[in-house]
Amino acid sequence: MAVYRRGTRHRFLLVLLVLSSITVITVDVRGGGGGAMESVRRAARDAFAPVQSAADEVINPVGDFFGGLFRYGHIKAENARLRRQLADARGKANGASSAERERDELLALQKLTFAGDVPTVAARVVATSPSNFQLTVEIDKGLPTGIEKGMPVVTGAGLVGRVIAVSQERATVLLITDPAFNVGIRLSGSGDVGVARGNGVRQPLPVDLVDVGTKVTGGEVVVTSGLQGSVFPAGIPVGKVRSAKVQPGRLQQEVSIDPLVDLSRLDFIKVLLWQPKADTP
Amino acid sequence: MNNARAKVPLILLTFLVVELTVLDHLRVFGAGPDVMLLLAVVAGIVGGPRVGALFGFAAGIVLDLFLETPMGLSALVFCIVGYAVGNIQGGVLRAAWWIPVVTTFVASVAGVLLYALTATVVGQPGLVTPHLFVVAAVVGVFNAVVSPFALRLVRWAIADIERAERAYA
Repeated sequence: MAVYRRGTRHRFLLVLLVLSSITVITVDVRGGGGGAMESVRRAARDAFAPVQSAADEVINPVGDFFGGLFRYGHIKAENARLRRQLADARGKANGASSAERERDELLALQKLTFAGDVPTVAARVVATSPSNFQLTVEIDKGLPTGIEKGMPVVTGAGLVGRVIAVSQERATVLLITDPAFNVGIRLSGSGDVGVARGNGVRQPLPVDLVDVGTKVTGGEVVVTSGLQGSVFPAGIPVGKVRSAKVQPGRLQQEVSIDPLVDLSRLDFIKVLLWQPKADTP
Repeated sequence: MNNARAKVPLILLTFLVVELTVLDHLRVFGAGPDVMLLLAVVAGIVGGPRVGALFGFAAGIVLDLFLETPMGLSALVFCIVGYAVGNIQGGVLRAAWWIPVVTTFVASVAGVLLYALTATVVGQPGLVTPHLFVVAAVVGVFNAVVSPFALRLVRWAIADIERAERAYA
């Protein structure tokens, strides 16, 4: 009898905890990322920021040391490769200036305003996501610098993601490879538009809504479309076409792109202080 | 009992700091370990269903503060995992050393899969993919490897609670 009663008590506790969890989930989902849960989260992150910084001070040198030990050969080879690339790049840089002018003309022709005139905030990536199911990074700048939810994040190479949470000390950036990420894109060759979506870590991004008749070439650069209502300004490079196939009987091409930015090695990034126009739906 | 009141939050905080700082740099095949889930599993092994569920809930809700997935999702999954492990393993008192290790592996894999399924139900897209099994395997293996250490820590933290429970029963 005693054993039976004990079992019931345990089950009661479990039911209580499960119901509390579901209540919290409901409140958070219904609140739509605002409200009480959001402020609790912000407070927790700000409180944890100094701990994280302190821990990184300790861990990074140790990690670098062991990383250096185990990867000595790799680093040596990489060094040689980088030297070679630098020499190549110096040579190419001379030819690049004319290509750059050409690009500017093309952008002007397509009425694309590249995000060059948007004010930016530079920030450092301090942590990756603690979850395996969410592709985000934490950056070391927050609300005081003017960062807001929804702002685009880039590096010199191209689009990194979008700010999805901000506190006083930190901001969280959703990477373009996260399955919850969508971006309107334009193929630089044909000028046709489509929608690229994240497909998980180190996976290429599938592009939807590309017309069967559109000519898509491998390696073609894809930029943000910036169409009306878009959450990104136009002309930010997103990726390079990896493959394009037309399956018989389909109404759209199967296009996939590789991100231009190496998302596994992010260090410094820039947040564009840009919000979609207020009049968009 | 008084002792446990200080030790349990300490353990929780230690695991959280490890999860958010040290393990942040540890990625295998694009997946990282999950020591908060480990905490729920180990608490279930050491303390039975009650302690497992409570530890799981606490570990989950603390982790949720640092995630963008809906608040309470990890708490829900971890408390179920802790309870289930406690029910299965709690009765075994002096088991062979490898039994908790295998239990941790199985429970961690199950926990990851349960998390992905629950998150999908709540409306998170793109979680149930082939990559999910890679994640489950990485989390399972890592948690199993460090489980003997975690077991000792949790046993230390809840020694007083255990004694009280046994006296009660």
